[in-house]
Amino acid sequence: MTAEHPPSSGSVVTAFVVLTVLSFQRHWRVRQMGWVSVGLLGLVVVSVGIVTARDRWGLPDRPVRRDLTHRQFAEQQLLPGRYDSKRYETVPLPGVAQIALHEVPSPFDPLKDGIQTLILSIPQAVMESETFKDKWAFMNFSRWVILGAYFGFVLPMFTLAYASAAFGTERESRSLVWVMTRPMPRSAIYLAKFVGTLPWCVLFALGGFGALCLAGGDYGHRAFPLYWPAAAAGTVAFSALFHLVGALFRRPVVVGLVYVFFFEALVAALPGSLKLLSLTFYSRSLMYNAATEVGYPAGMMDFSQPESSSTAWFVLGIATISLTVLGTWLFARLEYRDDV
Amino acid sequence: MRSAELKSADPDATSGSNPDFDSAPRIPHPAFPEPLLLFEQVSKWYGSVLALNQVTLSLTGGITGLVGANGSGKSTLLRMANGQLKPTLGRVSVRGIDAWDWQARRLVGYCPDVDAFYEDLSGRRFVWVMARLCGYTRAESTQRTEDVLERVGMRDRADRKLRGYSKGMRQRVKLAQALLHDPELLILDEPLSGIDPIGRQELLEVFQSLATQGKCLLISSHELEALEKLTNHVAIMARGRIAAVGTLPQIRELLDDHPLSVRIDVDRPRDLARLLLAIPEVLAVDIGKAPEPEGLVVKARNPKRFFQTFSRLVIEEQLEVRRLEALDESAHDILGYLLGGSGRT
Repeated sequence: MTAEHPPSSGSVVTAFVVLTVLSFQRHWRVRQMGWVSVGLLGLVVVSVGIVTARDRWGLPDRPVRRDLTHRQFAEQQLLPGRYDSKRYETVPLPGVAQIALHEVPSPFDPLKDGIQTLILSIPQAVMESETFKDKWAFMNFSRWVILGAYFGFVLPMFTLAYASAAFGTERESRSLVWVMTRPMPRSAIYLAKFVGTLPWCVLFALGGFGALCLAGGDYGHRAFPLYWPAAAAGTVAFSALFHLVGALFRRPVVVGLVYVFFFEALVAALPGSLKLLSLTFYSRSLMYNAATEVGYPAGMMDFSQPESSSTAWFVLGIATISLTVLGTWLFARLEYRDDV
Repeated sequence: MRSAELKSADPDATSGSNPDFDSAPRIPHPAFPEPLLLFEQVSKWYGSVLALNQVTLSLTGGITGLVGANGSGKSTLLRMANGQLKPTLGRVSVRGIDAWDWQARRLVGYCPDVDAFYEDLSGRRFVWVMARLCGYTRAESTQRTEDVLERVGMRDRADRKLRGYSKGMRQRVKLAQALLHDPELLILDEPLSGIDPIGRQELLEVFQSLATQGKCLLISSHELEALEKLTNHVAIMARGRIAAVGTLPQIRELLDDHPLSVRIDVDRPRDLARLLLAIPEVLAVDIGKAPEPEGLVVKARNPKRFFQTFSRLVIEEQLEVRRLEALDESAHDILGYLLGGSGRT
């Protein structure tokens, strides 16, 4: 640069790598939204932990209606004195197996008794099946914690907080000009920012997933290896989306929150074809299929018309690539001013 | 030092400028057929606001001052030169490369007016990171960092965190990062803003030194006096146009030749009109009719001399001036600057 150092052009590849590393290093400074997300995750984790500690994921503790669980409902259905030992005493008969009368609903009407016993024996058998109860509890956990809280709330919030901040933080601090005035293509700046931000998104989104699974006890331990691919795929796709939002909008968090709570939360839950526009729908489809493949009754998750795993992977992959390419293209063409 | 040459090709845009500049021959660098910086009929809108209006400008070397009031379009022009903004109409090029193209940024060093850094870094680390972002290796970045810090006089005090720097030190760091890739063209947006007189003098010496080393500097300021110490070549911007361009004496001549219309509201308009008509610089006086009987519109040559005489008359005749407004806005701004004011009367 001076007479001793003749001018030379730097390498764009080096600049790209340096910007990627710089973006990664500086991204821990994502404060406000990051802390909000961590706080909300903490609330969810505590709630899940309380439910787990009280062993309330099983069917008996599922609410029938408000303030009434299946267990409480069943207890209410028992007639008072029906199992009274004085009324239904075991009749001692010599040479005959003892009959416990209290196990028979209508001991003095054999036909009625037979029919009632037959009908009641099916749910009774099912309800006494440990396998069924375990699967039901796991699906209950999957439905409320993973499908609902994680995919509907935790994952979008974390990716919004970290992906949209790639440009948002620089804009807020008005330091974007330093990157934008370097001799490197704008598309490379966009990509480097994304690559540098993505590990944080994955770390926090999957970290949040791990925290929820830990709080879920045994069900959580089973859920993590089963659902983490769906969580990872959803994280990458959402990161690409919110990185684009961060690059395009001056208030990316507001736009992102509107998207998460008014589009993803609503549209993904609607029957019909509109849900095909939702990224969460495909992540949930992956989750549904993962549960089905290992024999869980995934239909209990109350998730209608999931796509096949191959379709869901394809759509999430294409969405990630398309959003990144679109962002690169737009970023290379739009003006960026951090002075207004 | 190489010469700087600016021109404004739009006659309407140079109400106070010499039309000869429009046809002035360019003086390209012998090694480069293309001008270092070229604006061709460039206009820029921000929504419905016209920030730049058909600006044509050619820059080949030396130090050029860009002067204008806040909002006159200086920063917009500089950001276009640096490829931060795209023209709505026209073209901006650096050595023939479109300024929007990232390759043009290899030729341009930009010192923004924004006073924001990665505040947690030290000055040295910040400049080093900027060098790395130019694509240099670690070793080369270190070497270049030390060179530019030496050049701006910050080598021995660059290890503190940026958040603790004075305004002058921050300006030097900004200048240092702009020099890293040894650009031909340095664009400095308000580099003297907020600097104390000693720091200002030091920076001016740095600029002179860079120009001596062959750099072309385009420096914006809203203070003509500061730039006068540095360069004789200035472009005066007003309302998105280059209102005057050339050396300061040339601009002063332009103003002398260009008649200026001034609206004056006074308690005794007829007396003032009579007195004004006796001044040789006054070409015409129109006395207002009802409902504004106090108003005069005076057309005068050589505004500086006219205002000196007018001021003397007001004092001697004890006139009560209620309003004084230049009706030609471009000339108004030029006049304001050349008289050392803000352009507002």
